[in-house]
Amino acid sequence: MPLGVPINPGRVCWTGENPGIMLKERPDGPWSALALFFRVAWSPQGAGIALVLYEQPDRVASLPDCYNVVITDNQPMAQFLMTDFVGKFGVFGEVPAFANMRYVPVTHANTTGDPLGNRYCETVASDALSVDLVWEKLGPPTAIEVAPELSGTGQHTMFSLLVESREAAIYVNGKRLAGTPQPREQAGLQTTTAFLYFAESWISG
Amino acid sequence: MTQRVPINPGLVEWSGDNPGIYLRERADGPFVTLALFFQVVLSPHGRGTAMLVLGAPDQAGTWPGTPNLMITDNQALARYLIDGFVVNMPTFRAKPALQALAVLALTDASTERQGHRHCERVMSGDLVAEMAWERLGVPFAVEVNPGQSATGTHQMYSIFVEAKTATIALGGTRLPGTVTDRQLFGRTISTAFLAFSETWVKPVPT
Repeated sequence: MPLGVPINPGRVCWTGENPGIMLKERPDGPWSALALFFRVAWSPQGAGIALVLYEQPDRVASLPDCYNVVITDNQPMAQFLMTDFVGKFGVFGEVPAFANMRYVPVTHANTTGDPLGNRYCETVASDALSVDLVWEKLGPPTAIEVAPELSGTGQHTMFSLLVESREAAIYVNGKRLAGTPQPREQAGLQTTTAFLYFAESWISG
Repeated sequence: MTQRVPINPGLVEWSGDNPGIYLRERADGPFVTLALFFQVVLSPHGRGTAMLVLGAPDQAGTWPGTPNLMITDNQALARYLIDGFVVNMPTFRAKPALQALAVLALTDASTERQGHRHCERVMSGDLVAEMAWERLGVPFAVEVNPGQSATGTHQMYSIFVEAKTATIALGGTRLPGTVTDRQLFGRTISTAFLAFSETWVKPVPT
């Protein structure tokens, strides 16, 4: 990477981890289930974790009707991420479910596996609701730097460390949601819609 | 920061958080206490936590006789970080304390964040090691090439948060020294810093 200015003059909006899973039942069909996990080390609203789950992306509904929900230990941080970032992440902000997400507190969270191994898993629970995000068939880590015109928000430079997953699943209370990851391109890189993102930083200006 | 290559072809060595505190007793004196904390999410040796404390960096002794030690839940990772990275960092280079360092098993760890204070605490049995950063500044992103990085051979990305004051304690005793200023790429910042989302990349040979 050509490097000229070691200290970026931009404003750090948040930094942390942001893996996700986007599933379809057939390549030309709608998204059947979507999930993003955030482990934020710094944001204007503090640190914390948040799991964003669209169990039924096509419904403007949340608990108790369906598990379109945000599980978090820092609701102001989660609302900041939903408003300023998730809502601008293409499909995550476009699906009907985004309009009516209920926030519930984290009662348990656990990380297992190895991103350089065969399997990595984030488990987050809120009382009786337990969600497992599982990434398998992991690829080599790749450092990426995405310019604003190519980043998820279209407004920020984004630094991250991508580990591609070619097999992934979302489990809700032990039940696997329908769908499989799909091929996608990011900043010229052929990858999939199941990804681990570590050391991710969003910079504006 | 323009004309970047979006996909770095280099080999990712490790990634995680890597805050540090370097203390002196006077502004023009040597460092008398050094500490680094590692929260590694990806490495050839897996994930893990490690805290390096050198309360006597210029002495070859180690814990319990001398306040030099590392506490970790992943011994292989800790050795990889010391041998491959720490020994090459200018502040730590050729420090006698690194020659025969006791590496103790981590039995508990916790992070406390409150306003402009951040604290990392690790335990090995009854022994507690603690690093605390206070009067935190505004975060800024750093991206350096091998000629600028601490090891001299890696590209490194990180988010730094400067701390105006900081302390290191081992076994309930506060270790000597205070935060002083240093130059970082033309900017004057303190010798205590949080470093989040840090990634070390070995460039592809040209």
